[in-house]
Amino acid sequence: MEALLTMAGSDYSQVMANADTDIAVDERASILKAQRSDARAFETLYRLHVDKIYGLCLRMTGNVSEAEDCTQEAFIQAWKKMAKFRGDSAFATWLHRIAVNAVLGRIRKSKREQDRIQAVSEVEPVRVATGDTGELRDLAKAIDRLPERARHVFVLNAVYGYSHEEAAGMLGIAAGTSKAQLHRARRLLSQQLEEQGFTA
Amino acid sequence: MTNEFDDKLDRAARQLATEIAPERDLWPDIEAAMVEPRRSRWTPMFAQAAAVVLLVGASSAITYVTVKNDNAPVVSIEPELVFEQTSFGANYNLGPGFQDARNSLRAELDVELLRLSPEARANIQENLDLIHTAISEINAVLEKEPENVLLQQKLLRAYREELTLLSRVGGLTRNVTTRNDI
Repeated sequence: MEALLTMAGSDYSQVMANADTDIAVDERASILKAQRSDARAFETLYRLHVDKIYGLCLRMTGNVSEAEDCTQEAFIQAWKKMAKFRGDSAFATWLHRIAVNAVLGRIRKSKREQDRIQAVSEVEPVRVATGDTGELRDLAKAIDRLPERARHVFVLNAVYGYSHEEAAGMLGIAAGTSKAQLHRARRLLSQQLEEQGFTA
Repeated sequence: MTNEFDDKLDRAARQLATEIAPERDLWPDIEAAMVEPRRSRWTPMFAQAAAVVLLVGASSAITYVTVKNDNAPVVSIEPELVFEQTSFGANYNLGPGFQDARNSLRAELDVELLRLSPEARANIQENLDLIHTAISEINAVLEKEPENVLLQQKLLRAYREELTLLSRVGGLTRNVTTRNDI
C-alpha cells in the first residue's frame, strides 16, 4: 500500500497523519451529535473505541463474557452521560474511566456471581483471544490469575501506562495502595513466570 | 525478583495488546438499552409527596368552603343564669348553709325579678353577669393553680357578693310588694 501511495505521488506518513486528523475531526463531530442524542453518531463513537474498551475490560476481568457485559455497560453509561463530557480529557480516557467503573461496579454488585466465575476460571484454562503470542500469552494468563486488586493496578499501570495517581483515581484507592499492589503483582508474576523460563 | 526482571516484565506488559476486538458485535444490545423508555419518574417517593399535597389541598379547600359558607349572622344566645360549683381548691368548701341560701334565692330570683321595673331588672342582671364572669374566670385559673390562696379568697368574695345581690333583689321586691299593697 505504501508503494502504491508513493507511486501515486503521496507521502505515506502524511496520508496516515491526515487519516488520524480525519478520525479526530470525525470523533469531535460525533461527540457533538451524540450529545444531542444522535444514536447513529454514538454508534460511530462505539465503533471507534470498542476495541480499546473491550481490551481494558478483558484485561481487568480476565473473562470474555464479563468483559462483554462490562463493555456494554460502559457504553450504555457513556450514552447516558454524554452531556457531561466537557472535553477536559480525551474521549478515550473518559471512556476508560467509565469502563473501569463498570468493572468495579459489576464486581461490587455481583460478588457472588464473580466468585462463581472465578471458581470456573480456576478449573478451566482461560482461553481469551487477545492476539498475544508466545511468552506474551503466558504473561497474559499469569495476569489473569492475579488477585483482583493487584490485577487491576497492574493492567492500568503496566499495560495501559497510567500513573499511580491516575490508576488510584480510577480505582478509588490511594496512590500508595496502587504502588503496593503493583509491587505485589510483580512479585506474584515473577513467581509464576520464572518457573516457565520467562525471558521476554 | 530483580530490577532486571521488572524491566523485562514492564517491556512485555507494554507489548500486550490494548485494543482487542470482541468476538461478537456488542452494539445491538447497547442500542436496545439506549432506546429503552426511560424509567417512570413516578416513584413511591413522588407518589407519597403527591398524596401529601393532595391531602393538604383537600383539607384547605374544605376549610375554605366551610368558612366561606359560614356567613350567617352570629346568633348570640343569652346565657342562662348559671351558678358555678360552690366548692374550690383543696382547703375551702362552701358550707351547706351557704348552699341552701344560694339555692333558695336562685329559685326565687326569676319570680322576684318579674316584680321589678325593666330598668331595675336590667341593672340587676348586669351586675349578676359581672359577678358570674368573675367567678368563671377565677375558677378557670384555680383549675391550674388550686393552691392559690389569693384566688380562693377572691372567689369566696365573689360568691358573697352574688349572695348579697340576690338577697337585695328579694328585699327590693318585698318592699315593692308592700308598697303596692298599700
